[in-house]
Amino acid sequence: MQFIIVGIGGQGILFASRVLGHVALSKGLHVNGSEVHGMSQRGGSVISHFKIGSYASPLVRAKEADILLAFEQGEGLRNFHFLKKGGTALVNTDRPEAFSDPDLVAFLRAREVRLYPVEGTRLLREKMGGRFLFLNALILGALAASGASGFEAVDLKKAVAELAPARFREENLKAFELGFEALPERS
Amino acid sequence: MNTRKVLLGNEAIARGLIESGCDVITAYPGTPSSEILPAAAAFADELGTKTVVEWGANEKVALEVALGATFAGKRACAVMKQVGLNVAMDPFMSAAHFQLEGGMIVIVSDDPGCHASQDDQDSRGLALFAKVPCFDPASAEEAKSMVASAFELSEKHKVMVMLRPAVRIDHCRQDVQLGEVRHASAPADFKTRPAGHKVVMPARIMPFLEAHNARFEAIRQEFETGFGQYNFEIPAKRPATLGVIAGGVSFSIVKDLLEALGRDDVAILKIGTPVPLPEKLAEDFLARHERVLVLEETFPVIENQLLDRTRVMGRWNGWVPKQGELVPEVVESVLLKALGEEPPSDPALERLAAARERLGLSVKKPVLCAGCGHRPSYFAIRKALPDSIIASDIGCYSLSIQQQAVDTIVCMGASITVASGLACAWRSEGAAPRRPIFATLGDSTFFHNGMTGLATAVYNRHPFVLAIMDNRITAMTGGQDHPGTGDKPRQNETGVAVGLEEAVRGCGVSYLKVLEPYEVEANLETIREAWAYAKEHQEPAVLVFRHPCVTMLKARPEKRPVTVVAEKCIGCRFCQDRFGCPGLAWDGENRKARIDERFCVDCGVCVSACPHGAIVRIGEVL
Repeated sequence: MQFIIVGIGGQGILFASRVLGHVALSKGLHVNGSEVHGMSQRGGSVISHFKIGSYASPLVRAKEADILLAFEQGEGLRNFHFLKKGGTALVNTDRPEAFSDPDLVAFLRAREVRLYPVEGTRLLREKMGGRFLFLNALILGALAASGASGFEAVDLKKAVAELAPARFREENLKAFELGFEALPERS
Repeated sequence: MNTRKVLLGNEAIARGLIESGCDVITAYPGTPSSEILPAAAAFADELGTKTVVEWGANEKVALEVALGATFAGKRACAVMKQVGLNVAMDPFMSAAHFQLEGGMIVIVSDDPGCHASQDDQDSRGLALFAKVPCFDPASAEEAKSMVASAFELSEKHKVMVMLRPAVRIDHCRQDVQLGEVRHASAPADFKTRPAGHKVVMPARIMPFLEAHNARFEAIRQEFETGFGQYNFEIPAKRPATLGVIAGGVSFSIVKDLLEALGRDDVAILKIGTPVPLPEKLAEDFLARHERVLVLEETFPVIENQLLDRTRVMGRWNGWVPKQGELVPEVVESVLLKALGEEPPSDPALERLAAARERLGLSVKKPVLCAGCGHRPSYFAIRKALPDSIIASDIGCYSLSIQQQAVDTIVCMGASITVASGLACAWRSEGAAPRRPIFATLGDSTFFHNGMTGLATAVYNRHPFVLAIMDNRITAMTGGQDHPGTGDKPRQNETGVAVGLEEAVRGCGVSYLKVLEPYEVEANLETIREAWAYAKEHQEPAVLVFRHPCVTMLKARPEKRPVTVVAEKCIGCRFCQDRFGCPGLAWDGENRKARIDERFCVDCGVCVSACPHGAIVRIGEVL
């Protein structure tokens, strides 16, 4: 299982791979991934590669990713080329009309991508007083609902609870639930 | 203990250091190496070792401290990024020639693709230059294991050894086997005899050189046969159409790629000890393959050590790109080309490219954080003296180039010395500088390599303003302590904070003022005054812009929420081009600035950024 996780520095995308690694290790699986640290973290485009299984290299090759998690819509669209045929894309969206672009629709059809747009930013604004730092837990909730990761929702949720700092545990679990409930029908 | 844990590559290396009983670990932070030292401190705390874990003011300091510890028989390690080795090159060269009492490793992290560096230099090349044996890990697990091997090799041959992880190893996250502390050094002792055995002097160095060359060849012999866990062949399952020699993460990438493509007609020779190259191993592989592709990052270090390159496809004959990272897509295209095959066509990708073009998607460049003190500091300098030349430095504030407030960046500390040179340019005409000259650097960079430049500027009476952007931390690399903070990496251990103002005054500076960067309007006059002083007295004037790094804040600062009054915003983009805060977004449709609630931290500083008074404090809107 190969993941590409993208967003903007500061959105907490590294938390997602930590959670996935935590679950994988508890099941005795090997993990390997690549993160961005340092200057690029300062509000710029960030990409995290994460692989579960016996891989030597930490990097996912284009057209090999099973799952794309996008914390920001633009970053998601920029990295769709990583998706393999039949892959799953979970995108935090603020401009859903972009998904009607005819060329994008043609690409998604040709690649047989399962696309799940999630309005995470709006949900956090409306349901959690605009605490956008919990977007990572929300995305993981949506991933759990999609079933695409092959991990049980209960395992993912438990890992979020275990890895979240104690003082933010409740909020993280709430955001996870919001994401879980938010998943639209398959498109 | 027999547990596996998911670790960052740098954490795995740190774990290797503690398990190997390394006694003294020093570093100066630099991406991608920065996490090694803090992780070593954390493991030392967890396992209850007495390991000394310290930041040096710069890489030269760090390496020399580590070297000194080996003189007393202890295991020591200095950690830095690739350009940090340039700073430490002087002691690195000297240390290479000593017969060391204790084991010594220098860990140098390279940055292929320049993710966070000013160049893509290959430290294996400098290992070869200094004749220092080098290990090049292909995974986090291997990096950890190589730490132990490097210490053993170091002690066996009494020689300094380099471990060269590249960024994809430093910043990979992988499950790694944890072990116990397995080594204890002898009690510290400095052997005074034979006299001068730790003295490099012209008259004594010739025998050192002879011994150094002999050791290097002995280690080459050992690499030929003795390190099969790092140097091995994965043969093709049928007669090979191509051989690949690969090291570092390039090996891991090509291995995964061949598996994914289902190729069983390509053989790989993995080289984990590229310096000195086990020549016979490589030549034997070359002899058995008609054509051999060499994949390594970033310089042709293995390739250039091959004595006969007539059948080698590499950088020397253009098969492998001379710059840029060898990411899987690049390796795939190089490999297919070497096999004489075309990549499969993918019309869907063209549709995706068309969609991206229409939707206007581009890579988002890193920016200073919302609420950062650097932004208003640079904004104020440019506003006070628009004609100023601003020589900047290495640190977060280099991102102020997006505010059009950075004119030069060379290397750590060069803001001050370049400002000196600019002043000298006008002095060489017998004139005062015709434009205001500013040097800007951070607190950590000042202690790293700023003080010598400042002392030189005071001594030679160079007129410029030095603005020290003091955020009380080494910020760009993730928040490490330095002499100015006084805090140390290990728990329950505190150092002494070296006063920044005292250091500045100690360099002989007479004009020194400390400013709060958020007070933009109030600072304008002081900035002009400082330049007038420097020019009149023919000496550097120093301003300290002091505001703690927003990523390190323990308590939330006072909230000063603002809004953009749409009727007053004329869409000039001044706030975007000269202030450029992620919290102050641009609404392209309406051609007006707006607050982006996702990123705004309510610092209220951008009120000063609008020349038309369109950004106002909430509560002041009428």
